[in-house]
Amino acid sequence: MASLSEEVLLVVKRVRQRKQDGTLYLMAERIAWGPEGKDRFTVSHLYADIRCQKISPDGKAKIQLQLVLHTGESTTFHFANESTALKDRDATKELLQQLLPKFKKKANKELEEKNRMLQEDPVLFQLYKDLVVSQVISAEEFWANRLSLSSVEHSISNNNKQEVGISAAFLADIRPQTDGCNGLRYNLTTDIIESIFRTYPTVKQKYSENVPHNMTEKEFWTRFFQSHYFHRDRISTGLQDIFSECAKQDEKGLKSMVTQGVKNPMVDLLSLEDKTLDEGYGTATVPTTSNSSNKSLRENSNSAIIKRFNHHSAMVLAAGLLCVIFRDAPSDQASETSSTDGNSRDSDFFQPPLKKVKLQEAIEYDDLQGDSGRKTISLNLKKSDRYSHGPTPLQSQHYTTSQDIITSISIIQHEMRSYKPRLTQVMSSSAASSAIIALSPGGVLMQGGAQQTINQLVPTDVQSELKHLYMAAGELLRHFWSCFPVSTPFLEEKVVKMKSNLEKFQVTKLRPFQEKIQRQYLSTNLTGHLEEMLQAAYNKFQAWQTRRMMRKT
Amino acid sequence: MKLNIEGLLVYFPYDYIYPEQYSYMLELKRTLDAKGHGVLEMPSGTGKTISLLSLIVAYQKAYPLEVTKLVYCSRTVPEIEKVVEELRKLMDYYAKQTGVKNDFLALALSSRKNLCIHPEVSSLRFGKEVDGKCHSLTASYIRAQHHSNPSQPVCQFFEEFDAVGRQVPIPPGIYNLDDLKDFGRRKGWCPYFLARYAILHANIVVYSYHYLLDPKIADLVSKELAKKSVVVFDEAHNIDNVCIDSMSVNITRRTLDRCQTNVETLQNTISRIKETDAAKLREEYRRLVEGLKEANVARETDIYLSNPVLPDEILQEAVPGSIRTAEHFVGFIKRFLEYLKARLRIHHVVQESAPQFLKDIYEKVCIDRKPLRFCAERLRSLLRTLEIADIADFSAITLISHFATLVSTYSKGFTIIIEPFEDRTPTIANPVLHFSCMDPSIAIKPVFGRFQSVIITSGTLSPLDIYPRILDFRPVTMASFTMTLARTCLCPLIVGRGNDQVAMTSKFETREDFAVIRNYGNLLLEMSAIVPDGIVAFFTSYIYMENIVASWYEQGILENIQRNKLIFIETQDAAETSMALEKYQEACENGRGAILLSVARGKVSEGIDFVHHFGRAVIMFGVPYVYTQSRILKARLEYLRDQFQIRENDFLTFDAMRHAAQCVGRAIRGKTDYGLMIFADKRYARADKRGKLPRWIQEHLTDGSLNLTIDETVQLSKHFLRQMAQPFRRVTTRTFLSLFNDLNQA
Repeated sequence: MASLSEEVLLVVKRVRQRKQDGTLYLMAERIAWGPEGKDRFTVSHLYADIRCQKISPDGKAKIQLQLVLHTGESTTFHFANESTALKDRDATKELLQQLLPKFKKKANKELEEKNRMLQEDPVLFQLYKDLVVSQVISAEEFWANRLSLSSVEHSISNNNKQEVGISAAFLADIRPQTDGCNGLRYNLTTDIIESIFRTYPTVKQKYSENVPHNMTEKEFWTRFFQSHYFHRDRISTGLQDIFSECAKQDEKGLKSMVTQGVKNPMVDLLSLEDKTLDEGYGTATVPTTSNSSNKSLRENSNSAIIKRFNHHSAMVLAAGLLCVIFRDAPSDQASETSSTDGNSRDSDFFQPPLKKVKLQEAIEYDDLQGDSGRKTISLNLKKSDRYSHGPTPLQSQHYTTSQDIITSISIIQHEMRSYKPRLTQVMSSSAASSAIIALSPGGVLMQGGAQQTINQLVPTDVQSELKHLYMAAGELLRHFWSCFPVSTPFLEEKVVKMKSNLEKFQVTKLRPFQEKIQRQYLSTNLTGHLEEMLQAAYNKFQAWQTRRMMRKT
Repeated sequence: MKLNIEGLLVYFPYDYIYPEQYSYMLELKRTLDAKGHGVLEMPSGTGKTISLLSLIVAYQKAYPLEVTKLVYCSRTVPEIEKVVEELRKLMDYYAKQTGVKNDFLALALSSRKNLCIHPEVSSLRFGKEVDGKCHSLTASYIRAQHHSNPSQPVCQFFEEFDAVGRQVPIPPGIYNLDDLKDFGRRKGWCPYFLARYAILHANIVVYSYHYLLDPKIADLVSKELAKKSVVVFDEAHNIDNVCIDSMSVNITRRTLDRCQTNVETLQNTISRIKETDAAKLREEYRRLVEGLKEANVARETDIYLSNPVLPDEILQEAVPGSIRTAEHFVGFIKRFLEYLKARLRIHHVVQESAPQFLKDIYEKVCIDRKPLRFCAERLRSLLRTLEIADIADFSAITLISHFATLVSTYSKGFTIIIEPFEDRTPTIANPVLHFSCMDPSIAIKPVFGRFQSVIITSGTLSPLDIYPRILDFRPVTMASFTMTLARTCLCPLIVGRGNDQVAMTSKFETREDFAVIRNYGNLLLEMSAIVPDGIVAFFTSYIYMENIVASWYEQGILENIQRNKLIFIETQDAAETSMALEKYQEACENGRGAILLSVARGKVSEGIDFVHHFGRAVIMFGVPYVYTQSRILKARLEYLRDQFQIRENDFLTFDAMRHAAQCVGRAIRGKTDYGLMIFADKRYARADKRGKLPRWIQEHLTDGSLNLTIDETVQLSKHFLRQMAQPFRRVTTRTFLSLFNDLNQA
């Protein structure tokens, strides 16, 4: 077998693929199938490549499982073991269900991360184009030490901060489909389940209470959809229904949200009116006190729908905020309490300032205001000393105070005032003149000035090409030099490969460039340094190789 | 900046001024000069309040003897607080410009619930409870008892105020509700009574309508305000309803039952007092004979609700003999109660006038008109004599006594309707007696008569001429100002048809039509996909909204909307709606976007602003006609036709359009704001409806946007939104404003 070291999680015998009997293996990172009697896999997919799995409906004669890949291809397995086919299939499905999301996330994250890096960094992008697209080195090699695993993880944890909120219409996305034989089928994805859990923590609680021991997952969701809880006009929730409790808790949550009142005094309808008419005065019809008896069933269900929408929206909103607040400690307890009461009540203590702010906002007419210029933020320094001195090393206990500085300045000033040049002890005139020559344009120390002419000598497109070449070469050389000291067989392999890469680079990139500048009658000296660098690398390689040979013999 | 308004130096706390503000001040000044009343309409968000305050304050400073006080009435508590904050800004500007310390006293007054600082009392949630509890701690006899028996709890804040608060005037300054509370806490004085006392000598008072319009409260609070005051009713588009509400009474069977228990309690208390302290009752009797009434001990804390009729209708004579003794009065009330009970035991609707009712009551149970008129007064006296602490418990009997007084005082402008059941549920007996005021001018008349200038102003007062007619007064100025805009930041569109060409309307005959409901749904769905942040949609009534939401739900429209935005819906429960509102704003803030389904004439449509991203589009589903089958409304329409020559249809359309304008106006609160106004009913396109919209909306309603389909609406909206989303160049407004301002600098 190809890699025995892999951990095999599940082996299912008698699985057909393309009318061929065989065995299905689920490994730690891939799923594979080999025909019977042969010791190699004809089918092998990394989990990361699989987009989703599909299973045949329960009633079907053939029990199948289909894997759809990101590329759009699909592979179908037929479980042919008569007695245990269904069980086998379900076991496979369950395991895949657990495995796939992990890899999916990882794969996507990695891709995203790479994409992001390339987009953010044009230099890197150019390098990528030079090296990978022109196939000097492979993509894996390119990314190998750019994208350390930690950075991915880091970005994942970063992404957690900004978790995607829940679509308000997630329940609408679960469209029931008729399956032909008088039943309804709901397609649930992990995303939807997650959304349900996040929005309705009570359902999650029920799930964790019931699912492993009392019923299967499927049964749970069937009940969920059957329950009036899902159907929004929940008027008569039977007592036997496990979700009736959820409904009640939701009701309670809504009530507590309502009784808490609102923080913004400008939207508090209760305190809007200053002096309400006493009961019995006014022309408005008296609100009937006995609501339930008076209202028809239909009206009741209508108002229940309205209530539900308000609650649903509030929960979705709260769930969106939740992941920001409770990112670090997403324990069930915390999320539950915070989402049932929606918002934490500020005490009255905070109210006046908020009110003041809101009032001020409401009466501003900024287009009538004069141009007071941009508002500047005044610098608020606790210790102005530290600001004007900058950080001082902690070890030295001696701080220069501004007083010290002032005194020292005055001392220097004083000294300057009393400065008298000692004319006899200066340097000789010849030395002085040579120094002046060295420092004037064209002098030894001003060589840099002459080199700037390269700007004018070489056309810009050649310049930028040269830059790219330098960058690419630098990258390759970095890879090369990072292999030394060659201590492991892997590095050995790599250093050989890098050497050949360098040679390939020289042939495919550097040579054409050299020819090009020769054609344009520019000084070939331009690539001299590049060649030197490459030569140095070859020399090193040569030295290393001879040494290795010597050691071997 | 300093402005010269026809010779009056006005300090305006901004560097620039909108042209309409300038003309507003001009009109206002003319009104004040003429010492008359005015009706002024100016769009919301153009700085109406600050213009008003600037001018009136300047006027007060210039002619301190002509205008002594400004009484500013607004509708909601946040509005009141906003006004005071604007005032504070103005006063700060004055102080900065003139260098003189502000010598004005301006304060807000609100109910005890918003002003109480007593730790126990203020923790109560409902206004009525707070009032009741306060009364039980501050009533004069409670305090008298406290003298003899120190364990009797009293409110130390009130005691402190009573002891020293009246001698030391509150220092000049601007006091908002919170400032009053702070001040009260610092001094240990009760802020509520302090404010009530201070309004007598304050230069500016800001409070709600009821303190002036409801005779029961106005008599207590605003009785002694000087005649030379300027009264401003802001947001006054609904003022007629406030007037009517303050004079109307509803009596249900439950009220009568509770009244029955009240009567029994009274009876027991009387018999108990008779055994222990008969002298007290005799004393009361003697007082009533002499017609001394309240005068001797009319303490502010004792009275919870004053006489429900207007001051000049109260009889200035002694209480008639038949109800002078306590037992007789209780017997009298009992008889009245039994009569009412009998009247409520009917199976068909009865409508009669006040004289008819009096005649009937005289024939059936021999109750005369005169003792009925004294009912409220007499009950008040009795309750005080009996030293009943918790007045709130006696609300039922107070209500009945008020009804008695009202029905026997007014022979015109009121109607009595007894309905045995609600129209929607004819099988369930729920008899109600409506004693309904039909003439808003009755309640507001004393205000017009008493104060030299009354200004009625709002963002939506169109058509202007109807207010003077229904309120029965003669204004010296009537003006409607439009909004000068550097960019057209409002976009009114009338959607008349769906994409299937089916007319969209909330007309009664077709409103339940499947196609109409679907088209409404599609409109909302399409808009939810293109409008950023918040959308507010208004329905004509709560029941209609419930039905539509249910059928949208069944048709899956709501689910599709949810893909774009979160949905929040107004409910009949205020607390629940507040929560939904807050969540709605939260969703708009964090970028998710949300839709608020709400009801015209509801609390949201009246009191909540949807500034900037909180309302980028307002959709008005249908024309918000009032429920026309209501008998009260029919009676009122009839009365309006007979008395004021206003045709039913005119009034109904006027009423519907002012509410529609209110709803859509919620989205535009300033010139930097922008929003779509979508009228989803083909009837809006008609000239009689369109003509009743405020001028500032009408102006932007082009002929091309009168009868659009949903698709066309979406196209126009997209275009508008894209244009508006461009950064707003202040420079253009600036140059425009400066040009204007240079001309008018003082």
